[in-house]
Amino acid sequence: MKPLRSRSVRVIVAAAAVGSLALTGCSNNDSNTKDESKSKSDAAAQSKPVTYGDAAASTGPAAEVPGAKPGGFINVYMESDMSHLDPAQIYVSDAGQFSNLIHRGLTNWKEDKDGNLTVVGDLATDAGKMSDGGKTWTYTLKDGIKDATGNPITSADIRHTIERMYAKFLFDGPTYVQNWLSGNDYRKALPDGPYTGKSLPDTVLATPDAKTVVFKFQTPQGDLPQALAMPGYSIVPKKGDTKEKYDKAPVSLGPYKIAEYKSGKSIKLVKNTNWDPKTDAVRKQYPDGFNFTLTVDQGSQTKRLIADQGEAKNAIQFTDSVEPTQIKDVISNAGVKARAVMGFQPYVWQMTFNLDSQVMKDKKVREAITRAIPGKRMIAADGGKYGGELAGGLMGPTLPGYDPNYDPYDKVKKPNGDLEAAKKLLEEAGIKKGTKLTYAYATAPRSQKQMVIIKEVLGKLGFDAQAKEIERSTFYEQIGKVKNPYDLYMTGWGQDWPSPSTVITPVYDGTKISEGGSNYSHINDAQVNEGIQKALALPPTEAAKEWEKVHHRIVEEVLPAGPVYYAKQIQLSGSNIGGLRYSTEASYIDINNLFLKNP
Amino acid sequence: MLQFLIRRLTGAVVIMFLIGAFTFFLFYTIPQDFAELACGKNCTPENIAVIRENLGLDKPITAQFWEFMGGIVTGRDFAVGHCPAPCLGVSFDSGDFVWESIIDRFPLTLSLTVGGLVIFLILGLGSGMLAAWKRGTPVDKFVSGASMVLSSFQIYFLGPIVLGLFVYSTGWMDSPKYTSISEDPVAWFTGMLIPWAVMATIFTAQYTRMARSTMIEQLQEEHVRTARAKGMRQRYVFFRYAWRGSLTPIVTILGMDLSALLTGAVVTEFTFDLAGVGRLAVDSSLTKDLPMTMGVMLFGAFFILLMNIIVDITYAYIDPRVRLA
Repeated sequence: MKPLRSRSVRVIVAAAAVGSLALTGCSNNDSNTKDESKSKSDAAAQSKPVTYGDAAASTGPAAEVPGAKPGGFINVYMESDMSHLDPAQIYVSDAGQFSNLIHRGLTNWKEDKDGNLTVVGDLATDAGKMSDGGKTWTYTLKDGIKDATGNPITSADIRHTIERMYAKFLFDGPTYVQNWLSGNDYRKALPDGPYTGKSLPDTVLATPDAKTVVFKFQTPQGDLPQALAMPGYSIVPKKGDTKEKYDKAPVSLGPYKIAEYKSGKSIKLVKNTNWDPKTDAVRKQYPDGFNFTLTVDQGSQTKRLIADQGEAKNAIQFTDSVEPTQIKDVISNAGVKARAVMGFQPYVWQMTFNLDSQVMKDKKVREAITRAIPGKRMIAADGGKYGGELAGGLMGPTLPGYDPNYDPYDKVKKPNGDLEAAKKLLEEAGIKKGTKLTYAYATAPRSQKQMVIIKEVLGKLGFDAQAKEIERSTFYEQIGKVKNPYDLYMTGWGQDWPSPSTVITPVYDGTKISEGGSNYSHINDAQVNEGIQKALALPPTEAAKEWEKVHHRIVEEVLPAGPVYYAKQIQLSGSNIGGLRYSTEASYIDINNLFLKNP
Repeated sequence: MLQFLIRRLTGAVVIMFLIGAFTFFLFYTIPQDFAELACGKNCTPENIAVIRENLGLDKPITAQFWEFMGGIVTGRDFAVGHCPAPCLGVSFDSGDFVWESIIDRFPLTLSLTVGGLVIFLILGLGSGMLAAWKRGTPVDKFVSGASMVLSSFQIYFLGPIVLGLFVYSTGWMDSPKYTSISEDPVAWFTGMLIPWAVMATIFTAQYTRMARSTMIEQLQEEHVRTARAKGMRQRYVFFRYAWRGSLTPIVTILGMDLSALLTGAVVTEFTFDLAGVGRLAVDSSLTKDLPMTMGVMLFGAFFILLMNIIVDITYAYIDPRVRLA
């Protein structure tokens, strides 16, 4: 997915951290309540391998939700506005969740009642037909797809969607497909996108007829169907493209369209009458629409939904979570708890070591710090057991191949850390007392609380620990500099789709070390790099074992980052909301199934 | 009077320019790459360069300044379209025109201000005068005591209590919500009732205390005593002599309060999850959205200057001595 850096995520993290102060303070009360948080056993559904669906799985309409009724408007609470509405600028969670309501791509995620995921064709008839060992992928468009203006969607619109992502004014969206098609300097292949009449050659992207799209890559890309399911690759019809202005008024292809958008205040969605359920295997159109209020802070959202009065009965949290200080009020009340959804988020918090730092070059030092960090206290600073779960590895419970028993550094077995083992390792490494280490952290309350813990632990290990605060909005940019002056920093990373390729490749692939890149530790291990290339060429089910090998090599042999905790999510809805479930794929309330019990 | 007005308005324009220049150079010369702030996941140096170009941050600072100032008078062209005068730039965060965002938020802030103002002026001045009229009686003691207690309350304290009581616990009212008065006057009124009531409670208490003390002060003035000595009726002396004199300090404070309220009752808007100018100011400063922060600051400065001019004119109307001076 990305490091936690978007505006909305920053707000969420800040609010969660503020709230966690109180939650941590209330830990005694918390322990009196039965632990209903999600544990590793609940993560099973989230870690099954993804499958690619055929035409039958991709055919609409989507299965009915038992008892669902049509009609009414669902109220949606958000703390702030969506970062973007133009699909090509959408990368972060809030807009991604919103995208499901109005946008459609070539493929999409279909989730069964147990959370098992299949990539199915959305506008395409299936998840895609692979040939040439994964270098060529062919998609055929379904019949009868129209945008909200009634304009039929053809392969020209798919070509336009991909080509416009080469234009300079689009810079916030995903770049996977562009990189695979045209290399890392992809913009040079089509400067200004398709707007000056130029096109990608047929050897890269071919549209032989109105229904067919062929992607041709230099290397096999087994994950293409998953990449195309990202909201960022949703289709922008050529006819309705307004370039920069599209971000404020996109043309809808999904079940809803924007009736009114007041930037920073509210959005009203109404039914898109040109959306045909027979063409959609995932989405439904039960409510008449959605009323988004973009100014309700996390605390108010939780209070309103716990109280469940008036308009709040028809309301949901969208991407914000229950305010940590009010979690106890949610879980201790059976009526309220029944309206909550819980699950793991894709983010894995890890103590990242700068491998260019002289002190950090010794693996024993990295292992010592990894073992010494008290995971339980770190989680307590982030909302307690409803905010996270101790991590044994660097692949979270939302990834296929996640192993709940994997714990090479006893991080789960010893939640308070193992200072003695750590000291022994440092002795073996010959580290002198008073060795200076600089720990960088962001100016968010959670990070500040965790900094105190880290500094204390490093002090106990005999280091002269210096804490360097970085303004939170530029934290990832600062630590993303190849020659950054810090020895270690906490980072959070989540998948873009449920494949280790979107975690291991961007964060631990040595060939990806670049200015502003996300290989924050600067790990460059030949075996890891080779394993990544091998896994990338395989379809998901075959790749799983290869990814596991790479993961073990990273954690056990190289250790560029020490696992700390897996982030968790808890959200609430009003009592009149039906079809409530947690989406494994989105890590939020599943927006596709919702209806009003009494419209 | 006309000369006075022209002089004040010219001065106001110069002050506005100086404020604009000061804030622009203050904000834009701090060592911070704003393109980095606007950069998302793919924050490569290339993308930062693209954003810098898109935001016009690659130009010399003086060129950016004159473009900004010129835009206020003539409008400017941006990638997202023509920004008509008074153009205050484009938000780094949302890509919206700053002026449009402010004007879009202003009706809410204006509704909050005007609604609250009507209530607290009527109740505050009324009860203050009553207390002064009944000075020393149980009525005075009750009004003074209540106003003292209530004026020590804050919106962030009283607001959640009222919300908890009327919205979350009993469900008697819905959460505050702004609806345009032209769209649905009833929804506008009911949606703003709680914020008005909370704002008015606190302001009423303050204006009660102010009105009482200034009235008592005025009633002890020599010209009031002279009027009484001449045998004028108590009611006539109270309203014609003392009331008019007591208005001067009240108008001064009211001018300051109004300019603050009109530029955004930040705490009120945050307490009740309302998206007014105050919230816009806080949000933009938190996200380091410089054009928006500057725009709201200039908007605020405009109201402070405007209210000062209005207060001066009101003085002249209330007090002939000012007019002559």
